[in-house]
Amino acid sequence: MTTLDQKPASSEGRKDPWSQMLQKVGKNQDREAYHALFEHFGPQIKYYAMANGLASHAEELVQEVFVSIWRRSCLYDWRKAAASTWIFTIARNQRIDMLRKMQRTSAEMPVETEDLWQIPGENENEPVTSLHRLMSERRIRESLSHLPEEQITVIAKVYMENKSHQMVADELDIPLGTVKSRVRLALNKLKVILQDQNV
Amino acid sequence: MTRHHPDSLSLMEYSAGNLSEPHALCIKLHLDKCSHCRSRVDTLDSLGAVMMEQQPKVTVSESMFDSILSRIDSEPAGEPVTPTIPRVSALQKLLGEDLNSLPWKRQLGDVSVLDITDRFPGQKEQVVLQKLAAGGKAPAHTHRGEETTIVLQGAFADQKGVFNQWDFVVLTDEDEHKPVAVGCEDCITLSVLSAPVKLTGTFTRMLNPFIR
Repeated sequence: MTTLDQKPASSEGRKDPWSQMLQKVGKNQDREAYHALFEHFGPQIKYYAMANGLASHAEELVQEVFVSIWRRSCLYDWRKAAASTWIFTIARNQRIDMLRKMQRTSAEMPVETEDLWQIPGENENEPVTSLHRLMSERRIRESLSHLPEEQITVIAKVYMENKSHQMVADELDIPLGTVKSRVRLALNKLKVILQDQNV
Repeated sequence: MTRHHPDSLSLMEYSAGNLSEPHALCIKLHLDKCSHCRSRVDTLDSLGAVMMEQQPKVTVSESMFDSILSRIDSEPAGEPVTPTIPRVSALQKLLGEDLNSLPWKRQLGDVSVLDITDRFPGQKEQVVLQKLAAGGKAPAHTHRGEETTIVLQGAFADQKGVFNQWDFVVLTDEDEHKPVAVGCEDCITLSVLSAPVKLTGTFTRMLNPFIR
């Protein structure tokens, strides 16, 4: 056996307990693991709904997200995305879907939400999993703790309150250029922009 | 100006789910063919997950979990979702199989257009397809507001470079160019025009990136 068979990515991925639990739900319809995921991510999703203006539908969104997690868990591949990333994208898509359905009839929606916003690791023909993907959440968590508050505030408004850069600028009463430069500085430290330059 | 790939700020707005449907479509069409940008979005999705985890804690009732269980129990078993089967792409759903046979409107010289804004009800932007005949030239022009474009077929070139299929371009009023369709196919693009401009019946806006 060569060292190449040791797959460094796998040991990294398996350390994440939520990804392990999600995998159990997908493989064995494990309800205990499902319940643990609910206890951990349920409150996060509820807060997410409350922060972005869906307060009166917060519990409904949590339900929709968890039903969706159950139904899709068989497609979840821990090598392609951490559970929390995968669940974030499902929450994002369910939020978009809920808003779209409130605003119009299904006859008016030739394109489904998932045609526009993809869940990572699904519907891709990518056999290779980069170590970077599995490392990225831990790295982001570490990098975020070093960012100035003003940069985190802007990112939080974009991700949690779903405000555009322009809306964030209006709310904080600062120029759009300042918002963009704060985001760029943050993304730079989070290595999102650095990646642009490496390829 | 953004050329060939979306910039990180747009990808962040996409990852956060804040883009309009036509803008998201442009990004998604690019992502489907660009593993580099997909990987950037993966990182941004992880940023979203970490932001979500770092928010204040709220409580959810245990009874909610029971209602979730009763919902999944009431659904027919043995019908897992299988989005891995070949899905009809968003583009096909919107425009059908053959872009060339759409009801194009000849506009000027080598340029034809088709306004598909009505396929995106409730959205604020104007969405147009444009076709520049193979080898054809569009007159020099600048851009009003901001225009996001993705190449769906063929390629075009201007003084700054060649734009191939699935390349992504954002042009603003500072960008003047004179595009030419290169290669042996007609060049077809999808453009989303931000709508700061008030359109009136008497004001006919010529379209970009080929002409205005």
